[in-house]
Amino acid sequence: MWAVRFEGVSKFYRERSWYSSFGGELADVRHSLAARLRREKITKPGTLALDKLSFEVQEGESFALLGPNGSGKTTALRVLTGITFPTEGLVRARGRVGALMEAGAAIHPELTGRENVFLYGSILGLPRRELRTRFDEIVDFAEVEPIIDRQVKYYSTGQQLRLGFSIASHLEPDIFAVDESLAVGDGNFQEKCVARMRKLVSGGTTVLFVSHFMPAVDALCDRAILMNEGRTLAQGPVKDVILSYVDFLEERRRNLGEAQWGTGPIRVIGASCHDGNGVEKRQFSAHERIEIRLQFETESAEVSVVDPKIVVGISDGRPQNVIECSMLDDDEHFWGDPVPRRWECRLMIDDLPLRPRLYHVRAMILDPTGYAELFSSHDVATFTIVGDTTAAGLGLVAQAGGDVAIETRHRWEFLT
Amino acid sequence: MPAAVTGSSAITEVVHDGSRNTSLVRAVRELVGERECVWAFAERYIRLRYKQAILGVGWAIIKPIALFVPFLIFFGGAAGISGGGVSYAAFSIAVLGAWQYVAASVDLGSGALIVDGQLLRKIYFAREAPVIGAAISNVPDLGIGILIAIAAAPFTGAHLTLNLLWIPLLAVLLTVPAFGMMLPFSALAVYYRDFKYGMPLVIQLWLFLSPVAYPITTLPKKYQYLMAALNPVAGPLDGFRRTLAVGEGPNWTLVGLSAVSGTVLLVSGFWLFKRLERAFADVI
Repeated sequence: MWAVRFEGVSKFYRERSWYSSFGGELADVRHSLAARLRREKITKPGTLALDKLSFEVQEGESFALLGPNGSGKTTALRVLTGITFPTEGLVRARGRVGALMEAGAAIHPELTGRENVFLYGSILGLPRRELRTRFDEIVDFAEVEPIIDRQVKYYSTGQQLRLGFSIASHLEPDIFAVDESLAVGDGNFQEKCVARMRKLVSGGTTVLFVSHFMPAVDALCDRAILMNEGRTLAQGPVKDVILSYVDFLEERRRNLGEAQWGTGPIRVIGASCHDGNGVEKRQFSAHERIEIRLQFETESAEVSVVDPKIVVGISDGRPQNVIECSMLDDDEHFWGDPVPRRWECRLMIDDLPLRPRLYHVRAMILDPTGYAELFSSHDVATFTIVGDTTAAGLGLVAQAGGDVAIETRHRWEFLT
Repeated sequence: MPAAVTGSSAITEVVHDGSRNTSLVRAVRELVGERECVWAFAERYIRLRYKQAILGVGWAIIKPIALFVPFLIFFGGAAGISGGGVSYAAFSIAVLGAWQYVAASVDLGSGALIVDGQLLRKIYFAREAPVIGAAISNVPDLGIGILIAIAAAPFTGAHLTLNLLWIPLLAVLLTVPAFGMMLPFSALAVYYRDFKYGMPLVIQLWLFLSPVAYPITTLPKKYQYLMAALNPVAGPLDGFRRTLAVGEGPNWTLVGLSAVSGTVLLVSGFWLFKRLERAFADVI
């Protein structure tokens, strides 16, 4: 039996010019009335976030929505929870829908932690009676017991986030919509969050999950759809859809081809991953040698770029890179000054200390001081490390800001 | 406005669709189901109201008196307006608390959706909850206002009788048009902030068109009926004067006329709210 059904759901976000003059508003109304009288189709400015989207989620299933930014995943969840309404089509849900979209949205800084548990809980739809019985559990999970009677404005950011997540995740809806809220708190708390999600999933709650972090998707979900521009591209078992997603990202990158990235003095016009023999590949095994090739173009011969510093990062979908190679750290210099019009950089990493999952390659170019960006950070390629993805693969790397602790053996090479 | 359709088992099916039909019956049923959420918003307003203020709850007493003193001096003293069968002081103190309840509710309520704009964008709850909660949060202040009037009776010369028992009913009848104003104005303010900034002006004008500074009996009979029919707070406010100052029962013709116009205002206002509600999260 299905729990959630999207039947040809479209959502159009109208763009309005709010601060235009009153006269302008009147003219708008007059035009649309006139067009309606002439039975014309009015084209309003805006974005079509969902385009006749249809899918079905079975009872007790955990289901992932995958896709690039702006593909409509979050809009789908917003429509499901009733935050916003579809422009067209039907969204049906059998049972009570709860959401964990932005933990802590309703936390009020002037109120104490205790007051917030009851107020936020009630706003989310938890009956007060249930809140009373689960109060200790919620406070315990958030790790804020000693300060529960203090005003939340005196909490640290982490404590506020934990309290918000804890209240929202103790809802017991029949259908749970979760949007990338796992990345709150430190590594330890993240693991607790994943464990909590897993408990919900195994407890038979239907879960709709939106995340860019593929290991979590892989570990938590049974099935998935791949979305782009509000439409379904693929649907099926989660592992297959993740692979389709990887293909899709690669495809899109290729299609960009000459479109290039960046608008500064230097642009990236190509990026690829190769093995130790120089053969282009997209799948690697752990501890294999990888060569990342980046082709650059300097805007014009007149612009002389001297000694650009390339930084290559490898990330698993979360903001922080897991590996970072920087010409600045390596005290590496590009040999041709000034930089020619077209050139290539090859970064060879001897041994990839990575677990099986999907990785993104990010490139950034800095000036020799390291402060000015000649090319801002951009995902330019993807590769996967293949191998057994066990639940242990979820071991969450603490998201410390700043330097990446992993030291890799690598070297740089430049060609013109 | 999720439509609740009961399925075959105990599970309720929720449907969100692209159509634009507005069912008020369904809306009321949903709101009753989410009453804990309404209470939560009311409670939040009450808890936050006098936080970080030295005088704290004392403000609930100071506010009505602060308006009472100038009214007494200028309208009762200088302008020589009568209290309608009782001293001006007795009349004024009986009506001011009730009026302030309406004014504060409408003022707070019409901005409630904007205050909670971030919540509106991020979580689902009955959209009426913060608006209605804002009004309910003013009920304790109304109670304090009534107690002040009763406590002041020996000094103002008000006659207190068993007719005081009508006050809860009058308070409800005062709440009906308050909701009728708050719901549409709060919804319109989501689209155009002008409706929020304009609200204090509307309230000021409304004050002078209501029997607050002067008793309704200063008007000729037929204008009294006209006022009660056009201004749904006029009947209940006059009821406050009669029960809390004069010591007689409410004038049921005036109260009835106001109840009818108040209901019309509430139903049409609620309908407009439900119509505009669909795009709240997109435009706020």
